Amino acid sequence: MFSIISLLYFYSFYPSLLFALHSPLCCWVTHVRSLHTSGGSQQQEAVAAESEPEPLSIFRTQENDPACQSEKHFGQYYTLPSAHVRTVFPHGLPMRYKQQVKTFNEACMMVRPPALEVISSLKKTDNSKPAVRYLFYGLKGSGKTMTLCHTIHFCYTQGWLVLHVPDAHLWVKNCKELLPSSFNSSRYDQPLQATEWLRNFRITNEPFLSKIKTKQRYVWTKRESTEEGSTLGELVDQGITRVKTSSDVVGAVMKELRLQSGQPESDFRLAVAVDGVNALWGRSTIRKMNNTAVDPEELTLVYNLRKLMKNDWTGGAIITTLAQTGAVYTSKYSYLPKELLGEKGFDSMDPFIPVSVPNYSEKEFESCYLYYMDRHWLQYPHSRTEDGKKELIFLSNRNPSMLERICGFH
Amino acid sequence: MAAHTSRAFLSLGRINVPGLGLHKSVSRVTYSTGLSTDSSKATTGSPQKGGKKVLSKKYKREPGDPRTELMPVDQDWTAVYPVATPFIPDAIPLPVRMGCPVKGGAPPEKKGNLELIKIPNFLHLTPAAIKKHCEALKPFCTEWPSALDTDAKCDEHFPIKVETKSYVSAGPSIRNPAARIVHLSVKLSSLNLNDQARKKMLKLVGDRYCKDTDILTITADRCPLKQQNYDYAMYLLTVLYHESWKIEAWEAEKTVADMEEYSWEGSLSQENILDVLVRMKEAGEGEGEEVREQLLGRREVQEYKDSVTRLKNEGENESTMLQYKEAVKKVLKL
Repeated sequence: MFSIISLLYFYSFYPSLLFALHSPLCCWVTHVRSLHTSGGSQQQEAVAAESEPEPLSIFRTQENDPACQSEKHFGQYYTLPSAHVRTVFPHGLPMRYKQQVKTFNEACMMVRPPALEVISSLKKTDNSKPAVRYLFYGLKGSGKTMTLCHTIHFCYTQGWLVLHVPDAHLWVKNCKELLPSSFNSSRYDQPLQATEWLRNFRITNEPFLSKIKTKQRYVWTKRESTEEGSTLGELVDQGITRVKTSSDVVGAVMKELRLQSGQPESDFRLAVAVDGVNALWGRSTIRKMNNTAVDPEELTLVYNLRKLMKNDWTGGAIITTLAQTGAVYTSKYSYLPKELLGEKGFDSMDPFIPVSVPNYSEKEFESCYLYYMDRHWLQYPHSRTEDGKKELIFLSNRNPSMLERICGFH
Repeated sequence: MAAHTSRAFLSLGRINVPGLGLHKSVSRVTYSTGLSTDSSKATTGSPQKGGKKVLSKKYKREPGDPRTELMPVDQDWTAVYPVATPFIPDAIPLPVRMGCPVKGGAPPEKKGNLELIKIPNFLHLTPAAIKKHCEALKPFCTEWPSALDTDAKCDEHFPIKVETKSYVSAGPSIRNPAARIVHLSVKLSSLNLNDQARKKMLKLVGDRYCKDTDILTITADRCPLKQQNYDYAMYLLTVLYHESWKIEAWEAEKTVADMEEYSWEGSLSQENILDVLVRMKEAGEGEGEEVREQLLGRREVQEYKDSVTRLKNEGENESTMLQYKEAVKKVLKL
């Protein structure tokens, strides 16, 4: 009796889950049918009801904490609480996924082996050892950014400080304002990108801003300076309000965090997450006034981020992704680390742990298919048949982004 | 009595010739034809038709069987076609058809087929004919050396192979400019080159070297005569060999970018890994050279070195990446 009540309570929040359910899941359908007669496509199964509440479906899991997820959750979707989505990912999620979250009214992410592999390594990181670098690589649309977001969510739930650069390619192309840097005359500042990043950084790491203190004095102009011992929050505010100095503020923030993490007196761990790390060692499309191309090294933001990428600091981890989408001057079909990073990039990142993110496996595809069916994303009745499923497999080759796009038309 | 034999008529019974008298009743049967009586085959139609014509002596000979009907299966073909001859349908016992097929039908047969006559045929060059040619040429040839019975022995004793083509055609001139081209091929393993000389030779030679078969091919066609091109190719080979053994002063400035393959010693990768391990305090306390030596001697570092070298030299694919990943995990103790 208690189980029926708990299920009813659950169903008041998710009435859509009543419909479009598959027969393997229907152990508890008998409970529901006695109260809701508009069963639709459910099948009558004479299965005795279990005594304790079952997982609702094979494609979902209740384990919403990334730290507790394990191999038995492979292929299952877990829900990110919307509060976390707002704070942790103000700028990190892929565009299409953000639209999907808005449509489905929930943010569900699939638990996949590459993410869990890195998460289990992160759990075992030693604070005294230099930061380990992880690199997610894979075909276009295979889920690298989503895997990165999963690991970031883990870091956030464990209380780490997350320094997330959502797309390093944005810093090497389409720059509307390029100022020569006041700090070093051979470098260039990008105030707009820097301010936007600082704003999002502030949203993600609110609790840390008041705890971490600067160890050095920073002089911005003749009249403005940030004293030693002021909080990180003040530094960040300085960058957001005084747009001209924002790139240098970003550099200062990175430097402070790098120096302080892993020290015995600081109690935070730093997770540096960069999406599209191959942009740091590639080419840029930004041109100087005399129409020569700007080397990424001459950009303050890129220069400081490269310093963070080196593993000469301790007490954290560096998790990165390769991205060909949005990359400039790279072939559409390249996805392997050495091709995208180039010689210089590979030598800088070496030694790193490359983690391959493949297309969906059979089980993961099934899970995704059931999720879309459950969310009514697959509208046509043909897609409910075996033939329709085979058609989806054929058209998308189990590539996650292709599948998502195709299911929108099915 | 006039004998009227010019007319062909048949008369049986008595001939009652008026004016001859009754006593001249001759009972004889006369059967006379005005035309020839020698042929057994009576030509039909002609008694009626050629009534007014003069008897012609010309007669048409019947065409006999084509020769193919009379050819035995085991005949000597070289006697039928000893030289290059156009196609003779009646001398070739093959049911060949050539040409554009009639709609719904087959290509035209060989009899009277101009297409078959126009094209060149090699009926005079069957294996039997070639054998006869070889037998005829044998008195002019010398024996193949018995010691060179395998390809390997030929390569060992005669590493340089020269390939030339000669052309024979009927035309206003017997010369062919394509006959001057000379290809000279040699395996680099048969040349005495050390490591530096081999690398220099490969750089000098460029595209002319095939990595899979280890063969250097020099093609000479800049001189008008074959013999001149052959001399030039041999000269090139000699010069290449001697030049690749010379070491110039500026070769000492060879940079990492010029290197043909990746070597891990002294590379950034080595610096990085030693740096990391020192910071991880794997070697314990110590400074400078002994620490580095000790770290380099470790098995995990050697595995890491192998994986990086393999990755850089062979290019990246799933297996090299996996090997690199395992090696890094072991080195960083994850």
